[in-house]
Amino acid sequence: MNILYEDNVRIARDTDLDQVLAALETDLHRYTAEAAPSMTFLHAGVVGWQGRAILIPGRSLSGKTTLVREMLRLGATFYSDEFAVVDDFGMVHPFSRPLGIREDSTFAQTKYSAETFGAASGEKPLPLGTVVLCKYKAGARWNPASLSPGLGALELMGNSIAVRTEPQHTLRRIQELVKGVVFLKGARGEACESAASILNIATTDIGRETE
Amino acid sequence: MKEQQNPKARVDCLSREFGDETLVYDKQRNVGHCLNSTAAAAWKLCDGNRSTSEVAGILTQQLSAPVDESLVRLAVEELAKARLLVEPEAPRRRTSRRDVIRTLGIAGAIALPLVTSLVAPTPARAASCLKNGQPCGSNAQCCSGKCGTGGHCGA
Repeated sequence: MNILYEDNVRIARDTDLDQVLAALETDLHRYTAEAAPSMTFLHAGVVGWQGRAILIPGRSLSGKTTLVREMLRLGATFYSDEFAVVDDFGMVHPFSRPLGIREDSTFAQTKYSAETFGAASGEKPLPLGTVVLCKYKAGARWNPASLSPGLGALELMGNSIAVRTEPQHTLRRIQELVKGVVFLKGARGEACESAASILNIATTDIGRETE
Repeated sequence: MKEQQNPKARVDCLSREFGDETLVYDKQRNVGHCLNSTAAAAWKLCDGNRSTSEVAGILTQQLSAPVDESLVRLAVEELAKARLLVEPEAPRRRTSRRDVIRTLGIAGAIALPLVTSLVAPTPARAASCLKNGQPCGSNAQCCSGKCGTGGHCGA
């Protein structure tokens, strides 16, 4: 039997070591995200597109990994399917690890590298361009509404790991992060359709900014 | 009956501006609030010394548009509901949103005050969860929200 403790709290117990190690990995990620002093971790998928980051905040099972995967297939660069890591200047750093794709409804994940989808992994921090707040709804047509910066920032706060322990740093970094950013919110149907649309919108916004 | 107190914004909250909106974080309750432009402007003027009519007068000058006192009263009510004001000793008179719209007209120059609130997540809630079948120590760790008696996440 393999047992994992954090101090005196039992985190996991299983005869299968891999399962316990998976629990350890999840816990270490959470700990890193919570304790990193110079970065703010937001629970989000991130891709790079034309020199800017696209952020898809959301908890587990919100479909963000599926959307990230589709954007990678369309040529985006992989940054993370788990955390957006934000520094004091509002730049988004990569947190790359294999994408955990759920193949069925059992929550079981298979790990894939970004290269599997023909994508490169980002190495340099990027300024943020677009934030996509969406939930999967079968049959929905992706027709997002734009969201104000304040409401968008509130949504990001709702996906911040350490806002309770580090509210001041979190708000300051979110303020830096969202300068000039476009927030899109809506229900999405199939990821392949919405991914293409999001990249189109992001392209238009970048073009408008450089004019 | 006690006299109505002037509204006073709490000073123990963190705030940051996002355009004309303000994000306020209540450290006591771990709740974030987005104040739209009208609610934010009113909140900044609630110092406990100014009455709602005085706040309305200052806002009229600041926004270069007439601000009715009923609008400020509505803002104070929204802020109080979000617990962003020092609690008054006497209950405040309620202001109906519908009455304010009737007074100002639908196409008022100033947006109605609005406070949108969101409870800040705990680190465990904000982070990723464990899948079914994975070993767990508490319900909060599991995507399904259920850590079974055998110590594994389940549906």
